[in-house]
Amino acid sequence: MDPTIKDFEAAIAELETIVKKLEEGDLALEKSLELYERGVQLSRFCHMRLEEAEKRIEILNERGDLRPAGQMFSKDEK
Amino acid sequence: MSSQFDLFGKPEPEPELEPEREPEPWTARPVARERQRTVLSVTDLTANIRGILENAYAEVWVEAEISNCRLWNTGHLYFTLKDPGAQIKAVMFKSDVRSLKFKPEDGLHVIVRGRISVYEPKGEYQIVCERMEPHGLGALQLAFDQLKRRLQSEGLFDASRKRALPSLPRKIGIVTSLDGAAIRDIIKVLGRRYPNAHLVIRPARVQGEGAAAEIARGIRDIANVAGIDVVIVGRGGGSVEDLWAFNDEGVARAIAASPVPIISAVGHEVDFTIADFAADVRAPTPSAAAEIVVARKEDFCSHIDRLSQRLTGAVRGSVARLESRVHQLNRRPGFAGWSARLAMRGRHSAETTHALRHAARAAVSQRLRAFQALRLQLEQYDLRRRLGSVRARLVGVDGALRAAAMHRHHGAEARLHTCAARLDSLSPLSVLGRGYAVVWDQSRTRVIRRASDVKRGDGVRVTLSEGELTCEVVKTDGPDN
Repeated sequence: MDPTIKDFEAAIAELETIVKKLEEGDLALEKSLELYERGVQLSRFCHMRLEEAEKRIEILNERGDLRPAGQMFSKDEK
Repeated sequence: MSSQFDLFGKPEPEPELEPEREPEPWTARPVARERQRTVLSVTDLTANIRGILENAYAEVWVEAEISNCRLWNTGHLYFTLKDPGAQIKAVMFKSDVRSLKFKPEDGLHVIVRGRISVYEPKGEYQIVCERMEPHGLGALQLAFDQLKRRLQSEGLFDASRKRALPSLPRKIGIVTSLDGAAIRDIIKVLGRRYPNAHLVIRPARVQGEGAAAEIARGIRDIANVAGIDVVIVGRGGGSVEDLWAFNDEGVARAIAASPVPIISAVGHEVDFTIADFAADVRAPTPSAAAEIVVARKEDFCSHIDRLSQRLTGAVRGSVARLESRVHQLNRRPGFAGWSARLAMRGRHSAETTHALRHAARAAVSQRLRAFQALRLQLEQYDLRRRLGSVRARLVGVDGALRAAAMHRHHGAEARLHTCAARLDSLSPLSVLGRGYAVVWDQSRTRVIRRASDVKRGDGVRVTLSEGELTCEVVKTDGPDN
């Protein structure tokens, strides 16, 4: 994962800043293109984070082991 | 005997006693006067008294106010029960103290059940309390109020302690019973609103003996599972007694100490528990807790949508500015300057100039096409039309942004450089610089392109990068010869 992006919150915050800066205009062309590239990077990161989790249910037992919950709850799902 | 009295100075002369008058307690003499003496030791007497009292008051209920209440480190509780007219010492032994649901405090109005006992070494009688309940208020309510007050004064419920929930939890921890309605409600809601949620459940009994300890330990354990960044702790609704595990100090402290934010979700709407006060966010029900986690994701999605829209808008603005610069470029004096200079080199330069113009136009229109393609892409990428999935939306953003970023090389400055480079490469001077030569006819009005344009003996002129040669054709060798 991109080391320049701390976490999800940070990515969103930076994306917001970039949008604001771009909307203000007045940037040198090189600079604004640089920001676009960063925007691409950030949105990719967000996208990845959004989709990276898989639907999964696990049980944490008393010994600290994780095991899949299996069919335990499947009948309750739509 | 006399030496003892010397301690108090000279004894006063003993007054003459009236026969009816009660004797001073330490003078047994007049009592013994009429009966046969039975002399008891203090121990025997106290034992007798003890027997009488303990028999008569083997079980007694007393209503009183507590004062001088102290819990000793032996675990026994010592206090005084009093009312305006009297007081009695009281003790409650460790085993009974442990079963108290509330903490006895000075000033508390209570009803106790106990027995009278005599503490012989001190000749004191006291009530040994086995049960105690608050007068008026229910014991549970009182315990609740006391714990709440205490934790509050410690700052455990302070708003400044409350942590923000993560926008997008990687894994959601849940501490609850596997058999309860809560877990099913949570899974149902999450399944609907956060389909790719990753849940980790720590099963814990949520009512009855030992439940509080299991919940507290569950919170501690699950918060340390890698990737879990929010935990829901709760159960479905029930009676005050059913929910009691969530009014436990240990549970409240485990919540407060958790390294990740905790959402409490106990009961139905109106029941507030100590856990609710300690939690970072209180959800009225388990379903609501699941909605709080998922609502965050939805907030996030629409937020990204808005940001993407604005980014796209900014890209469009940029492209529009680029377009206008492309048009300006076409009219740049630099172009005219080049043409003029080339024209001075002779009429054949006109060809070159034409080629140059053509090339420049081609370069410009190539970029215009790229721009049109980009604009088309941007227009197709209409964020107001919500696509089926977030993935599709973001892929769209990526595409538009990528195109925009690639366009940086087509920026006006870069374009100027490109054109200049092309001008250079098309300039005769530049070609000659690479070792090529231009061969003219003798009058230097026509460029010789084919061997058949000249014949043996003709004079030709050769323009080199630096200087010119005048030569004579010795041999022609070509398709026409």
